Amino acid sequence: MKISRMIVPAAGLAAMLVVTGCATGGAAQSASVTLKPRAEASGEITVWSWDTAAAGLKRLAESYEDSHPDTSVKVVDVGYDNAYDKLSVGLQAGSGLPDLVTIETDRAPGYISEFPKGFTSLTPILGDEEANFDPSKWSAGSNAAGELIAAPWDSGTVGLFYRSDYFAEAGVDPASLDTWNDLVAAGEQIKDETGHTLMSIDVASGATFTMLLQQAGQGLFDEDGDIAITSPAAVDVLTLLKTMNDKGLLKNVKGWDGRVTATKNGDSAVHPEAVWWIGTLTAEMPELSGKFGVVELPSIGKDSARTSNNGGSNLAIPSQSKNPDLAASFLAYALADADNQVSLMENEGLFPSYLPALEHTYFQKEDPYFSSQKVYELFAEQTAEIPSVTYTSDNAKALDIVANAVVASVVNGADPKKTLEDAADQIATATGRGIAD
Amino acid sequence: MPPTRSPQRPAAESQTDVAVQAPARTHTASGQQPRTLARRQQRPGLLFVLPAIVLFGLFFAYPLIASLWQSFFATRGGTTTFVGVDQYARLFSDPLIAKSLGTAAILLVIQVPLMMCLAVGLAYLLNQSWLKFRTGFRVLYFLPAVTTLVAYSVVFRVMLATDGGAVNQIIGLLGVAPIDWLNNETWARVALIASITWRWTGYNMVIILAGLQAIPEELYEAARIDGAGRWAIFSKIVLPQLRPVLLFTGVTSTIGALQLFDENFILTGGGPNNATLTPVLYLYEVGFRQFDFGYASAIAWLLVILTAVISLIQFRLTREKP
Amino acid sequence: MTRVLVSDRHHVRQTGNPGESGTGRRQRSAVVRHLPAYVILTIGSIVSLIPFLWMVIASTHQTSALFGTPLPVLPGGELMTNLARLQEETNFGRVMINSLGLAIIYTAFSSTISVMAGYGLAKFRFRGRGIVLGLILITMMIPMQVLLVPLFQIMASLGWIDTYQAVIIPFLANAFGIFLMRQSFLDFPDSLIESARIDGANELRTFYRIVLPIARPQIAALIIYTFMTQWNAFIWPLLMLNTEDNYTVPVALNTMIGLSKIDYSGLMLGSLIATLPLLVLFLIFQRQFIAGLLGGAVKG
Repeated sequence: MKISRMIVPAAGLAAMLVVTGCATGGAAQSASVTLKPRAEASGEITVWSWDTAAAGLKRLAESYEDSHPDTSVKVVDVGYDNAYDKLSVGLQAGSGLPDLVTIETDRAPGYISEFPKGFTSLTPILGDEEANFDPSKWSAGSNAAGELIAAPWDSGTVGLFYRSDYFAEAGVDPASLDTWNDLVAAGEQIKDETGHTLMSIDVASGATFTMLLQQAGQGLFDEDGDIAITSPAAVDVLTLLKTMNDKGLLKNVKGWDGRVTATKNGDSAVHPEAVWWIGTLTAEMPELSGKFGVVELPSIGKDSARTSNNGGSNLAIPSQSKNPDLAASFLAYALADADNQVSLMENEGLFPSYLPALEHTYFQKEDPYFSSQKVYELFAEQTAEIPSVTYTSDNAKALDIVANAVVASVVNGADPKKTLEDAADQIATATGRGIAD
Repeated sequence: MPPTRSPQRPAAESQTDVAVQAPARTHTASGQQPRTLARRQQRPGLLFVLPAIVLFGLFFAYPLIASLWQSFFATRGGTTTFVGVDQYARLFSDPLIAKSLGTAAILLVIQVPLMMCLAVGLAYLLNQSWLKFRTGFRVLYFLPAVTTLVAYSVVFRVMLATDGGAVNQIIGLLGVAPIDWLNNETWARVALIASITWRWTGYNMVIILAGLQAIPEELYEAARIDGAGRWAIFSKIVLPQLRPVLLFTGVTSTIGALQLFDENFILTGGGPNNATLTPVLYLYEVGFRQFDFGYASAIAWLLVILTAVISLIQFRLTREKP
Repeated sequence: MTRVLVSDRHHVRQTGNPGESGTGRRQRSAVVRHLPAYVILTIGSIVSLIPFLWMVIASTHQTSALFGTPLPVLPGGELMTNLARLQEETNFGRVMINSLGLAIIYTAFSSTISVMAGYGLAKFRFRGRGIVLGLILITMMIPMQVLLVPLFQIMASLGWIDTYQAVIIPFLANAFGIFLMRQSFLDFPDSLIESARIDGANELRTFYRIVLPIARPQIAALIIYTFMTQWNAFIWPLLMLNTEDNYTVPVALNTMIGLSKIDYSGLMLGSLIATLPLLVLFLIFQRQFIAGLLGGAVKG
């Protein structure tokens, strides 16, 4: 009784204020600027990054300031994950962003398509270097018009980490794994001989599904922006995962913690992980030194690559930047310079997307943790081979639905083809997009 | 004179004890106030509330209106268009809205009453004079409320791990098979309810504990003289006297349940298969992951309406007639 | 008048509580009589304590040990290493001081505003009271997430981004706090206020001299709540602060969660230290929750 009496006038007041509110409402996007190639830049910029990436940029900022007088580069560690809240709010509010921001490669397409005026085109700066970058990162960081918006920084080139001791015990030669079907057969043999599962993955995240899909050469959408998850390749990937689970070869774990714990405990024989997994292994489980090797991913289908991408980041310049020329100069210094890219690998373990850097002798070195295997050489060779896939503005929405479909089929046993068709219908309803034939 | 009231007249029904004899709950009789008093109360009343009004006006008037305004606009691919009430219509056909409201309803029906009962019981026990180590117990029960969110998330994921998690080890001792807490739809909800209750019971206990101090000693004494038993004292004196505080914890817990975000964001991310998706987690995904701030605002205002209705019912149930 | 009331309470407490002042034998029998209550309370305490104990254990080991099986159940020897790394990576001493300063200032102002507004809403009948209460309730009912962008715009246009005033000023008027105080004051005896008015005291003096002393337990609860709110605030300080040295504890701890690396032992240690001020605060203010002595005696 009382409350209803309060709410009516409150609503009236609110309605009245709407009239005044609309005059100020709506985020103003900054006018777009065009970068000048190799401009003489000075002044100061702020960079947002996280974790080891921030540490690497702080190191490079010092050397940049030394070689570029009258410049100041302030790198702030804004924390991972919630950094996106800062970025999203700043883009939406039209203010408050720094001169350079870090965005993960999988998140970049969403920002690029939803905030078309939010970032400055990097094509004038890096356009002629396209052939020198990981092609999958380049396309993920470009907008529909082909302009580069978020420059590739580090790659998440994927390989198959395996427990050499389990393989030896079961009598499986890792070099013989040409296809995922071979791997499943090997997994059954290993399970029989050693009792260990084949893989520990986070089924609910859907990440393994999209990773294998990218290996097969496609994303959730095709080049026309139609929903592509009912393709034969997608059905094959889901069927593969379901088969592995049905045969008891999968261990379902939660997140990075779960994967680390499972690996440390030696639960599984193989781990399809990105190159940065090397850092995780050496840091969190030094006691397992000598027990791992790496091979290319087995192929999936006839057009398959032997690698995929998982993780890695790009750098972008928000249109709000007050000093885009200096931001661009620092960006090129950090990302399109072989020496600096190698130093980021050596010091912070960030694997270069800049292909000339991969020629460096660092990538030829034998790693004692992997029984002196030249692990980096393998990843260096595969980086240029990562298939490019199409992203749309609806990727985040589609990924949620697909992740649920993966759980429904792999964990709860639903038919893969039917499940993906249902998921495609859901995506179509939610996004208004068509389903590819 | 100290505030006295006959315990034989426990609740707020008496209309005569206004302002003169003045026990608790005189506010129930606003109609009886002389007009002069009302006039005299106009200025000082406003003055007490003024700082809050000014601050709210400066910092929340615009955000509230802007969010309402934005709910009538849709953004796609960076283009914003006026769509009227389309997004409110979309709420009714969105299966995820239905699913997330379902989760909220489960929390409202199971978690909120569970936590309220625990909090009242605990506060009552921890207020007893015969209790040894009272301060120690109070601190222990308050501990979960002060645990930072990051620590909370790590601790719970470790405790609820399927293999080797503490919870599964304990129930294993009782001969129960390991439960896949976070990957099974039903158990994920159970885990969510347990973890919210763990985190917030102590906090509500503190509020109620403070409310217990406001009960005049004389009420207990008089009841004792009348020969009232424990349960009679608890139900006839403590609970009615606690009504305003219980209304506060009820309303805030309801808001907490309808706006649940931290716990499921951290523990389950809303999964598996959206079983622990709540309206605000969905709103966050729509706004901050899919950048559809207009639709997110529409979800927010749907929640405002739902919360207002439920709170209104709670005000009614506690018979507050201001 | 207040003095009369308070001394009256003391009087009651001293004489009216035989269970508390009884002999050793009677005390023992009291414990036995209440044994079920102790058992229940102890089980509940363990449930509350276990996660906390795990934090203690985790903060004394290397992160890599926390991924092992079985998990460590005893404290390890890495406490000082973890502490040094925590300080090195987050400038933890500095951010603790930042957080303490902000929380203390925020609590002082916000609690005052909440107490005043709650009192005004509970005890005065002025025009527009319903609207004010309704609007306060609405700010509680709307999810914060949709207010972030417009509030951010206000801060940006004031030029307050990356300042401390932006962290605390917008939230000084705390709807939960005001609502809590309103509910607490509803039952406050009007007779006391009326007598003070008749004695000629003005409203502020009545408030200060009569109302505040009696409402101490509820104000204690409000202070605990208000301090906690600011101390644990995460998303807003994260949005506002752009300089690492200005970070608050939750924002600084968040930077230890990396993309491919999470420093759990550092996080647990930081979280553990971060709970200490709240515990001290709670210990200080829970002393106000004492009037129940008589309430217990009734049962005896």
